[in-house]
Amino acid sequence: MGEERKRMRFLPAKLARNSVGALVILAIALGVLVILSLLLSKTPGKTLRYFFLGPLQNTYYFGNMVNTAIPLIFGGLGISLAMRAGSFNLGGEGQLYGGAFVATISALAFAPLGFLGGVLALFLGAMTGGVLAGISGVLRMKWNTSELISSFLLSNAVVLIVSYLIAGPFMDPETNLIATGKIPESLRFMRILEPSNLSAGLYFALIAVLLVYLYLQKTRSGYELRMFGMNPMFAKYGGISVHWYRVWPMFLSGAFYGLGGGMAIFGTYYACMKEFSVGMGWNGLAVALIAGFKPVAVIPAALFFAYIESGARNAMLHSDVTFEIASIVQAVVFFLVTSSVLQQIGKKRRVL
Amino acid sequence: MNAVAIPVLHSAIAIMTPLLLAATGGVFTELSGMLNIALEGLMLIGAFTSIVFSHYTQSLLLGVLLGMVCTMALAALLGAITLYLKSNVFITGLATNLFASGLTVVLSFRLFGNKGVVVFDEVAKLPRLVVPALQKIPVLGDIFIGHHVFVYLSWLLLLAAGWVLYRTPFGFRLRAAGLHEETLVSLGMQPKRYRFQAFLISGFACGLAGAVLTLNLGAFVPNITSGKGWIALVVIFLGQKRPLGLLVAALVFGFADSFSNYAQGAWNVPAEFILAIPYLFTLVAMVLFSIYTSRKSSIE
Repeated sequence: MGEERKRMRFLPAKLARNSVGALVILAIALGVLVILSLLLSKTPGKTLRYFFLGPLQNTYYFGNMVNTAIPLIFGGLGISLAMRAGSFNLGGEGQLYGGAFVATISALAFAPLGFLGGVLALFLGAMTGGVLAGISGVLRMKWNTSELISSFLLSNAVVLIVSYLIAGPFMDPETNLIATGKIPESLRFMRILEPSNLSAGLYFALIAVLLVYLYLQKTRSGYELRMFGMNPMFAKYGGISVHWYRVWPMFLSGAFYGLGGGMAIFGTYYACMKEFSVGMGWNGLAVALIAGFKPVAVIPAALFFAYIESGARNAMLHSDVTFEIASIVQAVVFFLVTSSVLQQIGKKRRVL
Repeated sequence: MNAVAIPVLHSAIAIMTPLLLAATGGVFTELSGMLNIALEGLMLIGAFTSIVFSHYTQSLLLGVLLGMVCTMALAALLGAITLYLKSNVFITGLATNLFASGLTVVLSFRLFGNKGVVVFDEVAKLPRLVVPALQKIPVLGDIFIGHHVFVYLSWLLLLAAGWVLYRTPFGFRLRAAGLHEETLVSLGMQPKRYRFQAFLISGFACGLAGAVLTLNLGAFVPNITSGKGWIALVVIFLGQKRPLGLLVAALVFGFADSFSNYAQGAWNVPAEFILAIPYLFTLVAMVLFSIYTSRKSSIE
C-alpha cells in the first residue's frame, strides 16, 4: 500500500512529462480542424465556436456527449484486453451490433421475467459478442489463422446478416423506422442528467473500467494475460496455457463489445435500429489506442472522442460543414498518436 | 450450363480487377515488411479523385493520372508518418482509411453539395477491348475478351510486379527489407527507403484500383470500396505474396462475388446475404488455407 502511494505522488510529474507529446498531437489535430474550417466553411468563426464550445454549452449537449462515450468505453476496454494479450480484434463492429441485436430481442422475449429478464438479455448480448470474437481466437489457437483478418471478415458478414434480420423477420411493423420493437419501459436505464440522453449506463461503464483494471492488475489470470501479451514464449515456458490465452482475451474483448451494444440499447436507443451502431466498433478501437490499452485511460480517451464527434455534430447543426470533418480530425489523431518521435518531445533524452 | 457459367466467369474477371490491382500494389508493402491495411483508404481516395478530375478535365486519361497522383500523395503521407515519425503502421493505416472516408464525403459535399451518390453522366465510359476475331473463340473468347482496358492493364502490371520483385536489384532489396533488414543495413542501404517506395507503389496501384470502381460505374458512391481493400489484403495472404498466387486468389474471390450476384437474381436470396457471401467465403478459404499450412509445417 505504501509503495502504491509513493508511486501516486510521482504521477503528476510523470503525467506532465508524458503529456507534452500528447499536447503537440492535440495541437496539430486542432490546427487541422481550424484549417479545414477556413477552407470549407463560409463562416469559419461560427463553425469553430460551435465545434469547440457546442458540446459544453448546456447540460443537454454535455449529457449527450458523455452518453456517446459509454459504448466507446466498453469497446475501448474490450480492445485493451485483447491487445494486452497480443491479440488483434478487428471485429468490433459486428460484435457490438450483434450483441445489441441479441440483447434487444432477448429483452423482448424475456419481458415477462422483469428485471431478471433484462439481466439475462444483457448477458446474452455480451455472450454473442464474446462468441463471435472467440471464434477468431479458436481459429488462431488451432490453425494459426490470423485473428486480425478473421475477426474483421466475420464481423462484416455479421453486420449484414443482423441488418437483414432487423429489416426482415424482426422488424416492428408499427414504426416507420427499420427497427425491432422497443424494449419494455421497466428495463430501460434511468436518465441521470435531464434533459439529455445520459443514462445510468455511465455507472456500469465506470464499474466496468474498475473491474478490468482490477482484473489486469490484481488477479492471477490478469497477470498471466499481460505476461502472455508481452512475451508468449516466456509465458509458455513459465507454464502459462498458450491455448487459453489465445481464446480467452478475444472472447472477453468481444463480450465487452456485445455488452456495450446492449448498454446502448438499454440506455439510449431502446430498439435495435438498422445500422445504428455504424462506426462504434472502430471508435472503440481508436479509444483503446489513444489510451495505450490502459483501462483507466480509456475514460478520458472515450470522452475526447465523444467531444470531437459532438463538436462536429454541433457545427453541422449550426453552421455549414458536414459531420464527417470529425473523421478527419480523428484520423489526424490516429496518424500521430503512436509516433514515438512526437512522444519523445519534452522528454529527457536517454543516454545510451 | 454454359449459359450460366460463361457470364458468371466473365463478370468474375471484371470483379477481380480492382482486387488484383490493389493486391499487386499491396504485395510490395507486404514484402517490404509493412502490414498495409490502408489499401482500402487509398483505393477510396483514388476512386473519388479520379472521377472528379475526369469530370473537371473532361479527359479519362488526365483524370486517372491525377487520381493516381493524389493517391500516391496520401500513400507518401502514410509512409512518411509511419517510417519517419516512427508510428505503428497498423494505426496509421486505420487513420488513412478514416481520413479517406471522411475527406471524400467532406469534399463531395463541398464540391457537389451532396453527401450521397454523385452521378457523372458526362464522364466517358471506360474503353473496352473489342477484337471480333478473338471473340469468336468458343468459351475463352467470351470470358476473356470484351472487358474494359483496366482488366488487361491489371494483368500487365502483375507481370511487371513479378519482374520487378524477383528480377531486379530493387526488388531484391525491397524483399530483403522485409525478410532480414539487418542484411540491408550491413550493405549500407536503408530499409526505410525501400519501404517508403513500397508505400508509393501501393498508392499507385490503389489509385488505379479505385479509378476502376468509379469510372466503371460513372458515379461516386460514399465508401464505394466497401471492404475491397481489406479483401485485397486477404488476397495477398491467400496468394502467399506471389504474383501467380495473387492472380488465383483474386480470381477465386471474383468468382465468389460474381456467383453470389448470379444467385441473387436466380434464387431470390435477400441482398444482405448476398453481400455477406464474399466475406464468409473468404473467411472459409482463409481457414482452409491455414489448416493446410499448419498441417504442412507440423509434418516438416
